[in-house]
Amino acid sequence: MTQVGQKLVVEREQMLGLLDALRKDMDIIGPTKMPDGEVTFEHIESSKEITFDYMNDFDPLKRYLLPAKEDLFTFKLGQKLPKLEAASPKKPQLLFGVRSCDVQGFVHMDAFFSGAYQDNYYWERRNQTTIISMACNRPLDTCFCICCNGGPWLERGFDLQLTDLGGRFLVDVGSDKGVDLLGRIKGAPSTASEKEESQRQALMQACDAQMIPTAYLAKAVIQITNNRVRDELWEKMGAECFSCGGCTHVCPCCTCFDVQDCTIDETTGVRFRCWDSCQYSGFTREASSHNPRARTKERVKRRFYHKLSYAYIHQDGHPGCVGCGRCITVCQAFGLLDISAVVKRLRREGQPEPKPVAANA
Amino acid sequence: MENIYLPELAVIDKIVEETRDTKTFTLRFADENYNSRFSFKPGQFVEASVFGVGEAPFGFCSNPNRKGSFDITVRAIGAVTNAMHRMDVGDVLGIRAPLGNSFPLEEVKGLDILFIAGGIGLPPLKSLIEPMLDRRQDFSNFTILYGARTPQDRVYKSILADWEKRNDLVFMQTVDSSHDGWIGNIGVVTTLFEKIEIDTTKTVAFTCGPPVMIRFVIQELLTLGLPEDRIISTLERYMKCGVGKCGHCAIGNKYVCVDGPVFSYRQIKKLPEK
Repeated sequence: MTQVGQKLVVEREQMLGLLDALRKDMDIIGPTKMPDGEVTFEHIESSKEITFDYMNDFDPLKRYLLPAKEDLFTFKLGQKLPKLEAASPKKPQLLFGVRSCDVQGFVHMDAFFSGAYQDNYYWERRNQTTIISMACNRPLDTCFCICCNGGPWLERGFDLQLTDLGGRFLVDVGSDKGVDLLGRIKGAPSTASEKEESQRQALMQACDAQMIPTAYLAKAVIQITNNRVRDELWEKMGAECFSCGGCTHVCPCCTCFDVQDCTIDETTGVRFRCWDSCQYSGFTREASSHNPRARTKERVKRRFYHKLSYAYIHQDGHPGCVGCGRCITVCQAFGLLDISAVVKRLRREGQPEPKPVAANA
Repeated sequence: MENIYLPELAVIDKIVEETRDTKTFTLRFADENYNSRFSFKPGQFVEASVFGVGEAPFGFCSNPNRKGSFDITVRAIGAVTNAMHRMDVGDVLGIRAPLGNSFPLEEVKGLDILFIAGGIGLPPLKSLIEPMLDRRQDFSNFTILYGARTPQDRVYKSILADWEKRNDLVFMQTVDSSHDGWIGNIGVVTTLFEKIEIDTTKTVAFTCGPPVMIRFVIQELLTLGLPEDRIISTLERYMKCGVGKCGHCAIGNKYVCVDGPVFSYRQIKKLPEK
């Protein structure tokens, strides 16, 4: 009997066969090659559509747990009392081939959407989601997950974690859901041998070694936590930022949303939520037009406070960054304001002047 | 799992025009069972929906000891509030409540109580003033200071008149300016401080109003020597979900909607943004 924590070996064909078998019970989402060669995670009809020749999706996979736009309920007016109907339950889904950084993003979202108020829409989706992740054998030149505990392979967060050993996968069993999945595989998976485990170890170490640890967070955490950053640097970064919100939209840890009503006709409508960004000037603007973060500088500062202050790290258990490097790719400000650039700049340009030493002290 | 975003329906029972731009709505949940079980604490708030327009937060302003209905006072300033002002008795709103933390009540028994309110900041404080006055003997000296732009901009004028008549509390009001025979004080609310005596060893102050007023009031109270944890205020931020998820009202790592809206100055001081 397979158990959580076990390491098994599954042939690639077995795994693809499993996906085809599961297809009738759930939506399968996996890496597929677009006509232009770009790989994105899409709904697939057959495992033939899956590609293993990919690094990662440019859009974070958070969209399958927190869609960019999601209906909350519909309302029908006109009768004595309006009629409200909550958005219907979601179909089960399997996310196949998710990279570790995105899984770590899910771990972050799981914690955030828990607490005193459990986010029912998130959890309806999450509870019906199965995650088969894919550890990374090689990094992109924008990857820095080793700086944030976001990969290249993980200890938790997945139902199954695959490591590509070439034609076959070493499988880490992460949950009971994962155990059940393996029960449906054709042909019994074999237990990973010592040789296969050390092969995986070597692959991961090679991946680690190729990664440039561009985001040395520790110093930035101390500076931001203690507000020991030259104001001139925030000022400068505020002037460089376009407030486009790209960094927050591609961040697997960013979850802020707006809530809006949309009328369909005179008596019906829908309330939905959609991604919002703390980088937009309207994010904190009140009806009175009072705006506590009216200036770009204040919003840039806010973003990095949330990502890197100890107050948040203590609360969440980890920084608000998984090292996926997407903000590096998306930032329009000439590579100046992604998180790896900012931690470097905080260290190099952000140190405040040392306090003057009192004479005769 | 409970749907934290789905409002209950509430019927408007009564509308009182307070000023040219402010109305008080008395609301009752359409579901009688829900209505009879419903309760809230002073300082908590509601998210009120006008379907098709949106949702906005409002502090409870009625006495929590009053069962069967509750009040919110609303100034017409944005899309939702203007839509509410166009509604009539019998119309239906969506309500998610009660949300947020509350004012300390039992904890301040035996102390001198000082309220400093500005404009539309009085309504949330009223949800504490009234239950305190229900058990007036539990508190020592009781003072309410209220400032508004003009005499017409004062809310709850008949209640203010009642407070003025009571001899178990000191009530003073002031306006920024007046053109029509106002014989009371003129000047910002902090000018009333010199007319009262504050025993800083046993006073707790509650203040609510425009951000700039709160700033000056807190400064003044600190100068007088009131300890930081006995200065209680409410913070105001643009808010969407009211349940700590949408991120709009975050200050530092606190969310005004769930960690507040009530904060002591000791807590406010620690926040990385003001």
